[in-house]
Amino acid sequence: MSFYLTYVLVATALFAFTALFTLFALYSERKISAFIQDRVGPMEVGKYGTLQAFADIIKMLQKEFIIPTAADKVLFILAPIVIFVSVYLGFAALPWAPGLIPSSLNLGLFYIFAILSIETLGILMAGWGSNNKYALLGSMRSVAQMISYEIPAGIALISVVMISQSLNLQEISIKQGILTTEPVYFLGIWEVKTIGGFLAWNIFQAPHLILAYIIYFIASLAECNRAPFDIPEAESELVGGFHVEYSGLRFAFIFLAEYSMMFLVGMIGVVLFLGGWNSPLPNFGTAKLALWTSGIGWGIFWILIKTLAVVAVQIWIRWTLPRLRVDQLMSFCWKVLTPLAFLCMLISGVWRLGMMQ
Amino acid sequence: MGEEQIIFYFFAASVLISALCVVVMKNLVRSIFLFFVSLFSLAALYLFALADFIALAQVVIYAGGVLVLMLFAFMLSNRELLNSLKPAGSGFKVNHFAGILISLLFLFILVTVIVKTDLNQLDWMQESVPIHVNDNSTHQIGIHTMTAYLLPFEILSVFLMMVLIGAAHLARKGGRA
Repeated sequence: MSFYLTYVLVATALFAFTALFTLFALYSERKISAFIQDRVGPMEVGKYGTLQAFADIIKMLQKEFIIPTAADKVLFILAPIVIFVSVYLGFAALPWAPGLIPSSLNLGLFYIFAILSIETLGILMAGWGSNNKYALLGSMRSVAQMISYEIPAGIALISVVMISQSLNLQEISIKQGILTTEPVYFLGIWEVKTIGGFLAWNIFQAPHLILAYIIYFIASLAECNRAPFDIPEAESELVGGFHVEYSGLRFAFIFLAEYSMMFLVGMIGVVLFLGGWNSPLPNFGTAKLALWTSGIGWGIFWILIKTLAVVAVQIWIRWTLPRLRVDQLMSFCWKVLTPLAFLCMLISGVWRLGMMQ
Repeated sequence: MGEEQIIFYFFAASVLISALCVVVMKNLVRSIFLFFVSLFSLAALYLFALADFIALAQVVIYAGGVLVLMLFAFMLSNRELLNSLKPAGSGFKVNHFAGILISLLFLFILVTVIVKTDLNQLDWMQESVPIHVNDNSTHQIGIHTMTAYLLPFEILSVFLMMVLIGAAHLARKGGRA
């Protein structure tokens, strides 16, 4: 029985983490946007407005569930659950530290990619179920965008998988640090297996992966429906996108899914390109910095720091760049990102055969 | 009954019931969402057969791709048109006869095949190597597609290329196609 108890505990811990992260991200997004726009942001609730996110959540929990009369009730009620669960299930295969992963799947990356594609279905459910023109248009835009940007994102991920020869996210992490058993080369020439640190990260093992990471990062912004790719919820055109009709706890779930998705795509990028839970500090002679800063506690610390940094960049981009038009969005995806991603995949194949024998 | 069997029968029942509902349901959009339940439970059954790669491919291709395309087609069409498509009245009609005949024949073929085959005595069943939970199936699939099944793989890729070119040709502006 303790077997099942562990599963339940791990799942609960992950859910608690997504909720806590959302509260944290809510506050930091407001503060960062305020800083960028030369405002002060939330100041009233608590010292420096730190309790603002809790106040928001309490407000949301008290609100009434409103179901529009003409809505398709079953789809309307199920949609937020489908959206959140598909993102939440993605966390099951992400590694947190050496030996610490909820489920070490052989197909980890493919699993996450598959599970995330269900989110589009939830968004369509919400859009159709609301029986509202704006919601339907928002969900159609969102799905068209997510399906298109899945292609460059997927191909950029494949170019990493070709270098590390595994879909297991834990193995991919191990291969980017001092714990690996295979030789690791910085830029394909300098053997850095015992040095480790940032020199062993995938983007420095094969430099074309920097381009792949940029492609993945842009595509992941689009998959989160965040600015500059926020035409699905463009406030000035569509009121609020696919979630106009939602209120209270149901809206909170959609919101939770959006912020968990930001963390999830950031973490996938960190695991695949930026060394996962490996320390960024290399070993220098007798100063074994990489060795001293490895382990379960340090692993969790590094991956959190790296992912939060990526999330901060996502927020920064949202508040500095204007929104793209639909045609610009599509032509950027199909005419710029997709060919570049294919190029990365080609270079990965050549690199694997030429430099890593 | 062990817990594996309970889970298996749960998913099998969910495939069958949701598939039945897809056919019977009057609300077309809801029936597509139920189709998703059916496809997703089928993926769970693939997992039970230790075909994890196929299960995930099922989710990506059918649940994430085909179904979303079907939904798009529905949502781009008119609600009034969808309402008029609903089958009018119930009961037996002459034009149902062909459908009933075909489905009965199909059922007959399936039942005879299931009754006549002795599953444990098939050649390829006896020769096959048992697979284990922790086997890396992706590795095996990769090796087999590039060696034993290279010709079908290449033919499929040429076929997909043809489909892509055809779709791009149909979607082009200008009407001189």
